[in-house]
Amino acid sequence: MPSIDRRSLQHFDWLLLGLVGLLLGFGLANLYSATRAGSDAGIPAEFRRQALALAVALPAMLLAIAIDYRRLERFATPIFVASLLLLASTLVLAPVTRGNRSWLIWGPLSLQPAELAKIGLVVALARWFQRHPPARIQRLRDLAAPALVAAIPVGVIILQRDLGVAVLTLLIACTYLPFTGIPWRAWAGLAGVGALGLAGLWSFFLKAYQQKRILDFLDPSRDPLASGYQAIQSKIAVGSGGLLGKGWLDGTQTQLRFLPTQHSDFVFSVLAEEWGFVGSVAVLALYAFVLLWGLAIARNSKDGFGAMLAIGVVGLLFWPAVVNVAMVLGLAPVIGVPLPLFSYGGSALLASLIGLGLLLNVSMRRYMF
Amino acid sequence: MARTLDRGSEPIQPARIRLAMAAVVLVFALFAGRLFQLQLIEGEELRRRSEQNSVRTVRLEAPRGEIVDREGRVVATTRPAFGLEVVPHDVRDHGRTFAALGQLLGEDPAALASALGRPSRAGRFKPVRLADDLSPDQLARVEVHRYALAGVATDVRPRRHYLEGTLAAHLLGTLGEIRGDQLEREVYRAYRPGDVIGQTGLEAQFERYLRGEAGGRNVVVDVAGREMDVLEEVEARPGRRVVLALDLDLQRAAEQAMSEVQLPNDPRPTGAVVALDARTGDVLAMVSRPAFDPNDFAGRVDAATWKALTTDEWVPLQNRAIQNQFPPGSTFKAFVAAAALHEGVANEHTTVFCPGSYWYGGRAYRCWKRGGHGSVDLHVALRSSCDVFFYTMGVKLGIERMASFISGLGLGLPTGIALAHEAPGVMPSPEWKRKRFKERWYPGETVSVSIGQGYNLVTPLQLAVAYAALGNGGRVLRPRVVLRVEESDGRQVESFAPEVRQNLEIAPRHMEAVLRGLEAVVSEPGGTGGRARVAGVRVGGKTGTSQVVRLERTLGMDEAAIPKRYRDHGWFAAIAPIEAPEIAVAVLVEHGLHGSTAAAPVAQRVLQRYFEKTGRTAPLAPPPAPPVAPEPAPGEPAPAPQVQAAAGGIRAVH
Repeated sequence: MPSIDRRSLQHFDWLLLGLVGLLLGFGLANLYSATRAGSDAGIPAEFRRQALALAVALPAMLLAIAIDYRRLERFATPIFVASLLLLASTLVLAPVTRGNRSWLIWGPLSLQPAELAKIGLVVALARWFQRHPPARIQRLRDLAAPALVAAIPVGVIILQRDLGVAVLTLLIACTYLPFTGIPWRAWAGLAGVGALGLAGLWSFFLKAYQQKRILDFLDPSRDPLASGYQAIQSKIAVGSGGLLGKGWLDGTQTQLRFLPTQHSDFVFSVLAEEWGFVGSVAVLALYAFVLLWGLAIARNSKDGFGAMLAIGVVGLLFWPAVVNVAMVLGLAPVIGVPLPLFSYGGSALLASLIGLGLLLNVSMRRYMF
Repeated sequence: MARTLDRGSEPIQPARIRLAMAAVVLVFALFAGRLFQLQLIEGEELRRRSEQNSVRTVRLEAPRGEIVDREGRVVATTRPAFGLEVVPHDVRDHGRTFAALGQLLGEDPAALASALGRPSRAGRFKPVRLADDLSPDQLARVEVHRYALAGVATDVRPRRHYLEGTLAAHLLGTLGEIRGDQLEREVYRAYRPGDVIGQTGLEAQFERYLRGEAGGRNVVVDVAGREMDVLEEVEARPGRRVVLALDLDLQRAAEQAMSEVQLPNDPRPTGAVVALDARTGDVLAMVSRPAFDPNDFAGRVDAATWKALTTDEWVPLQNRAIQNQFPPGSTFKAFVAAAALHEGVANEHTTVFCPGSYWYGGRAYRCWKRGGHGSVDLHVALRSSCDVFFYTMGVKLGIERMASFISGLGLGLPTGIALAHEAPGVMPSPEWKRKRFKERWYPGETVSVSIGQGYNLVTPLQLAVAYAALGNGGRVLRPRVVLRVEESDGRQVESFAPEVRQNLEIAPRHMEAVLRGLEAVVSEPGGTGGRARVAGVRVGGKTGTSQVVRLERTLGMDEAAIPKRYRDHGWFAAIAPIEAPEIAVAVLVEHGLHGSTAAAPVAQRVLQRYFEKTGRTAPLAPPPAPPVAPEPAPGEPAPAPQVQAAAGGIRAVH
């Protein structure tokens, strides 16, 4: 049963919660501007939906804090299987929206099970690595089991044709790799396998527009009106923000809708345009601080599951943030990856807050031995 | 020791955690560096590009100044014209956009798309104009579908509008896009390619007043090219109002009269009318036929119209009132009469016997009346247009004196009207002939010149100026087309005073003799100008017929059978009222056969309107009279007699 004893409460990580609150607040304000986009017609619909999602996500986060994570360990497998079932149901139940089957839609509600599957995967991998401490893993073949565990959701997501999320999920799984004792030459071999895998992915799974996106990334100016357009407009938006930005609700790129998908994938461009160098570096610093704090929680955790869970959650936040910001800043190809806590999307918000809840959970129970 | 023991039991090696932390710091530092590069180093450039994205400078065309007549009635104004532009950069779906535009505008989508061309990268932001003057229907259709037409914008620009189409077209002139050679000239320094300027007529001469100053507006547009906000705006200064000397009533009367000229086998009579105020030189009316509609030039001239205008045998774009010169024929005799009196070679009572021909230098010069006029004085000579009388006067004067006096009336020289391409005409003289043909003057030429059939050439305007001078005591006035220029709010900018270019100081006695002779032409039986009568007004005038081809060519032919281009020109020059002349009118009906039948009625209509306006003659009864005329009330004056009826039966040529 969810309960927080007095001792845990004493050690509650108010700092982390405060950082998360700051990011959430910043994210919402920014999303308001991004969704408003020059119109004066009241509160934008997307913003309202996101606020509603937050209302659902906050209790879920509270639950993730309250239930002792060691109790969660016992339910790790059922949680993983449940998340997989939910994910797999999309293949049957989800309609094709924007070229992929990622969404379960039930009346006005919609859910992206892939986001929850990431949580399930993190919990499952944490449990596996708790049983097999990474430091003792010396050979690549020892990773066969966790690779299989990761491959199932990634495979399903690929079947959904949601490239961005598939890559992300794979990356999250890979978060554990640097903490294993596998020697460097093994990584070289893995890189070779990875390259082969990428080549296969390119030829068999990427759609023409996805290939084009990657080519456009390599030379964004080759056709500014097609998909490179996004990259160029984003770069213009970011750069034109200058030192202090154009001001909240005053970004011309944003408010005049020159930015594509500015409330989801390119929400950081809005931030950079309106808040400038100062604002965007501050947000990045907050992010980095949360991630470092998460790593510290992993280090300070007295049991393997807590540490592995913390590592997983750090990966859960790190990879989408890195891929998204790199894309917005023109350092990576345009793939549809939302920025946690900033982008529009209820499922991602739910997953991020559950993850952060788990982090707070591990953090406050670090002395319970 | 505890530490080493602990390490083994720790789930994660702290070194790897530190490595991971370093990786996080590194990645975010990289991002911060990239932000530094984009926002602080390339910030200015990218900011400029973001403004290029969203800020568009729109030129605000200044409305061209109004042109009004002397009573302030608008002749040319500016109306809003809705245009359609496409910004290539903003067009999302090329095919669909143009298919839709084609349907909305009722034009070929392929033609519209090809008008857009393939703009260069830099040119993608520049709007391309696809239509200039949308009809209200087209505008409404485009506006309704605008949300689906990214990159398509409509705008409104001022466009010249001539209220009465062809009315006074040649005087008003035409607009047109500035030409390359004009752009290089100093006067057009402030102009840009594509600007529309006055190219002919008053539009050209008064360009600097009529044109205002264009303003500009920086607007914010969204990704679909819709205007969202105005950043700053410099208002356009409208052009100034030009107040013409023209009297719209007289102009209309002259236009109408020219339209009603009836000639055998000539469905479209050509010619010119000029009416001047004899006291000030004000151009009260100026008509040239065939005419054109200057509205066709207000936007882009369409190819078919341009081709029709430029290939027309009768050159509609030419202003016959000032640009074409014709032999003056017998209208010239009034000048010879004035010269003879002024130079003292004859007086009012001098008589000449006309036997039907005049012997000079061993050959006979015929009078138009084979049987001769008998003994004629100046009065009768003018009335009956006796050639022999004027041969005699011309020879008595000698070519030098005649040419000197008549040049003084402005013949053979441009009148100085404020319009371009004015023809100078010819007043023949030995000096002129020497210069022109490098030949000496033959005495016999003096004889032909005396009746206006030598090398003499005049423009209708020159004739009107010279007749005005005969009526005002010899003052040769510069024709005044513009009275003043005003700001659009009415403040006067500049005014143009009447200008006397030369004063011949003709003695009142001589002037009166000539004018009475001219009056006899119109009012006395046997006069050739009976069709110019205006009830209750003493009108003077002179008919003229100028031969176009040698008489032998058309001799004995039925007039209706003569091809138009071989027919004689018909002139009528008028001045009225005789006791104190106010208005001079010159009418030329090109190939009109006779001045008396073709030209005099036109002059009559102008004079009629002039004296109606000033209340000195009763308006003509409308042509279809009511079947039962009401009994005139006792004591009321009887209706004015029909002038045409009074002039019936005139068959004279001169």
